[in-house]
Amino acid sequence: MAIEKILKDDASEEKGERARMASFVGAIAITDLVKTTLGPKGMDKILQSTGRGHEVTVTNDGATILKSLHIDNPAAKVLIDISKVQDDEVGDGTTSVVVLAGELLREAEKLVAAKIHPVTIISVYNNVCLFYRLRMASECARNALLQRVVDNKENAGYAFILYYLPNVLGFDKEHFAQLAVDAVMRLKGSTNLEAIQIIKKPGGSLKDSFLDEGFILDKKIGLGQPKRIENAKILVANTAMDTDKVKIYGARVRVDSMSKVAEIEGAEKEKMREKVKKIMAHGINCFVNRQLIYNFPEELFADASILAIEHADFDGIERLALVTGGEIASTFDNPESVKLGHCKLIEEIMIGEDKLIHFSGVEMGQACTVVLRGASHHVLDEAERSLHDALCVLSQTVNDTRVLLGGGWPEMVMAKEVDELARKTPGKKSHAIEAFSRALVAIPTIIADNAGLDSADLVAQLRAEHHKEGCNAGIDVISGSVGDMAELGIAESFKVKQAVLLSAIEAAEMILRVDEIITCAPRKREDRM
Amino acid sequence: MAAVTAAQPRSSKTESYVDNKRKEDIRHANINAARAVADAVRTSLGPKGMDKMISTANGEVIITNDGATILNKMEVLQPAAKMLVDLSKSQDSAAGDGTTTVVVIAGALLKQCLTLLSNGIHPTVISDSLHKASIKAVDVLTAMAVPLELSDRESLIKSASTSLNSKVVSQYSTLLAPLAVDSVLSVVDPAKPDMVDLRDIKIVKKLGGTVDDTQLVKGLVFDKKASHAAGGPTRMENAKIAVIQFQISPPKTDIEQSIVVSDYTQMDRILKEERNYILGMIKKIKATGCNVLLIQKSILRDAVTDLSLHYLAKAKIMVVKDVEREDIEFITKTLNCLPIANIEHFRVEKLGHADLVEEVSLGDGKIVKVTGIKDMGRTATVLVRGSNQLVLDEAERSLHDALCVVRCLVSKRFLIAGGGAPEIELSRQLGAWSKVLHGMEGYCVRSFAEALEVVPYTLAENAGLNPIAIVTELRNRHAQGEINAGINVRKGQITNILEENVVQPLLVSTSAITLATECVRMILKIDDIVNVR
Repeated sequence: MAIEKILKDDASEEKGERARMASFVGAIAITDLVKTTLGPKGMDKILQSTGRGHEVTVTNDGATILKSLHIDNPAAKVLIDISKVQDDEVGDGTTSVVVLAGELLREAEKLVAAKIHPVTIISVYNNVCLFYRLRMASECARNALLQRVVDNKENAGYAFILYYLPNVLGFDKEHFAQLAVDAVMRLKGSTNLEAIQIIKKPGGSLKDSFLDEGFILDKKIGLGQPKRIENAKILVANTAMDTDKVKIYGARVRVDSMSKVAEIEGAEKEKMREKVKKIMAHGINCFVNRQLIYNFPEELFADASILAIEHADFDGIERLALVTGGEIASTFDNPESVKLGHCKLIEEIMIGEDKLIHFSGVEMGQACTVVLRGASHHVLDEAERSLHDALCVLSQTVNDTRVLLGGGWPEMVMAKEVDELARKTPGKKSHAIEAFSRALVAIPTIIADNAGLDSADLVAQLRAEHHKEGCNAGIDVISGSVGDMAELGIAESFKVKQAVLLSAIEAAEMILRVDEIITCAPRKREDRM
Repeated sequence: MAAVTAAQPRSSKTESYVDNKRKEDIRHANINAARAVADAVRTSLGPKGMDKMISTANGEVIITNDGATILNKMEVLQPAAKMLVDLSKSQDSAAGDGTTTVVVIAGALLKQCLTLLSNGIHPTVISDSLHKASIKAVDVLTAMAVPLELSDRESLIKSASTSLNSKVVSQYSTLLAPLAVDSVLSVVDPAKPDMVDLRDIKIVKKLGGTVDDTQLVKGLVFDKKASHAAGGPTRMENAKIAVIQFQISPPKTDIEQSIVVSDYTQMDRILKEERNYILGMIKKIKATGCNVLLIQKSILRDAVTDLSLHYLAKAKIMVVKDVEREDIEFITKTLNCLPIANIEHFRVEKLGHADLVEEVSLGDGKIVKVTGIKDMGRTATVLVRGSNQLVLDEAERSLHDALCVVRCLVSKRFLIAGGGAPEIELSRQLGAWSKVLHGMEGYCVRSFAEALEVVPYTLAENAGLNPIAIVTELRNRHAQGEINAGINVRKGQITNILEENVVQPLLVSTSAITLATECVRMILKIDDIVNVR
């Protein structure tokens, strides 16, 4: 039994069939967990933190659910990774990608059980994928053309969003879709979502959410300072406004009388005043600092009727600098070299019970703020996640205007082609190709299931519809029947769909190739008792 | 459950069955937990509702019937139950009143949902129908509402007293209601007539006396005594008030310093210098004619020392020390003055003026009152009194609710009848509407309508009336077109509730319905609880 000594104590090794089984089980378990959240009528999950505070999150965003899970299974981790990558790359389709990969694996498991070598399956999956990228590209080019004839760009985006916003927003979808489209249209083609700021304020209902041009800072204006400034010149800074301290440890001043102490104090005050003067020398009328502005400088600013905002958070000032076209300054010796921010109007506004500062008419015209209102923090957080997804997809679509029809249409088109291919292919490979098609059909099935519809019946109808050439049929979850997607205006971004297909297949391939899992011995922890 | 999971077969069909079973269980667990929370506060609804005694973890005891407060202190752990707690919080921030009502409605809706679910209706279908119903409900409520003018002080008082009548301090509603109305109206800015910032109304609590002694002060009240050291003045007419943010004490630098004393004579000199330094500051203050000083609390060094207090007393300057930094904004706004952060900036134009600043003893403590302020800002101060801490706290919460009610009326100027009248009318109209709808939708809307009857039912139950008799009679009266018939708990019968002056703001009712529906829909859509990091 010398072999066992190769690995450390506690390390384990699983081989061949067992290893493959372990990864299948892990991946399928993850898929089953998130698959109920797929589609416009997907369900939500409660994420309950086991950490301090037992915080509760309610979401149906695949990426959010997956990235907060405790996972020990290596194959499951691969799936979580692809969902993360999808989130970073295109921002949406995070659930679809995991579900598709999972379904591919589920089918692969059956094939492996039927003694088909995993490598055969992989090669088929890859070939089919390659074939379908081309196919889809041509297919969608046609559709993009169609869309553009029928609608102008804006409406296409609008309709398409309708499909994508998760159901938390429910009937307020139209409202939100309009918000998202407006916001993205302001960006004028750039994908820089940083210019869109999202502020969450509990209270009111989702319908009270609104889009406002400019920038809103959740801070208070200092005492005795003007509450409204027109044609503001803004200096954004990150500097300590108390006395400059000697940084060397233990530095101290020795004096021999009280009046000397008073002199030092006076000198410190004088330094502060100097600094404030330098700042004022920039010819500004609004000063925003990331750090605290103490009472003394605040009063100086108030005397000069300069609006001073203290303790703006880091994110806040970076954005503010971005949208007003200024730079964040930390030294004030040469006023010429500092770029000031500009905006037309600064004023205090009230949202719910809170007072906020609104900067309107900012330099960067595309900047805007979406203020979300909702009954509770859960609703707000979820609305923010959905809006973020919607914004991501929209901004991608503005760049790559190719769109596909939604409602399971692309999957059915692909499945039909794959089936035909399977019939033409001789040998074992055809089994694998058929399996691929089954995995594709699983997606409309799940969407129908989640909406509480009879999936078996609907998918069969859909398949029959698709047998005709040039069909636009898909599942209409609202009415619960098969409908013409082009008429209903339900569309999806081509870019998202392509990313879903490619990463799902890559993940499935990776997991299939595994034939051995080695678990390293966990690092020993010191006993802290 | 264990047997089912153990026999988990591989084929996908049976697997989905197991999934469904688990999901149903989770949904039911969530609904039951949320209903338990709703049941806990149900008995405190309405003017004859009961109070709850809560003893908190640190041994403090609170007696209240304010839904938001009860739920806040309950420390629930179950996620769905937590959502109900949040629901009452958001009602509190949206409307300020009706925090119990919103939870009770949510509980009743959830109860109806359980029945619908067990009939095999898909949760998303229920959720969509509830949403439609709530939109319709808001329309119905708006149609019922009566417009209101802000000059109509009577109506404002009526609605404030409706809110107060359901509180522990209900016997004082005749006093507190006008007080709430006056204080809100005094802070309304004519430039922005539909905005009220409740932070402009300061509530000062002082133990002693009874709630009867509660008063609205035109001016400022500090829950502090004036400094008595060295016999300083405690009453000042024609006051010139300065709010200072610097300290009248020996200098202290930010950099570490030490004074080296090498011989005996130097000590005397240092003491003298210290005295001169402080005297110099006080002279500067005196030179401006200032005779009342409000000194901000400082953590870095003593705001005042015995020595400086002594000199201030000599200079006949009244001192109130340890003013919190958060209060500075309110104070400067009220006094129409500016805070002064450095002795060099001590100028006459930064002072506030008042006819009288005096220290008054109240009960066991003393307060400082500032009255007759020149150019007073749009703020108000309410001095709440009570015979014990519990009554005092409850009076404050009730007053807050009443203020919120008035604020709602300022921002949305519509009134609606109280006493369960709007709910029963909604129930009737939605019930009729459900009959013209098709399929599942109609079924769900009818359940929504039935759920709304919980409000009059609970009102009657809490008032010791026969709920079934009352609700059926109400239905009957409403069917005959008396849309303002409601439960008059005082008389124990059904009357036209508008004539009884039981009214509430429209905003409270509409936001209760929409928020409760939003919360219920969210709970319905949850099919799993996942433990995460």
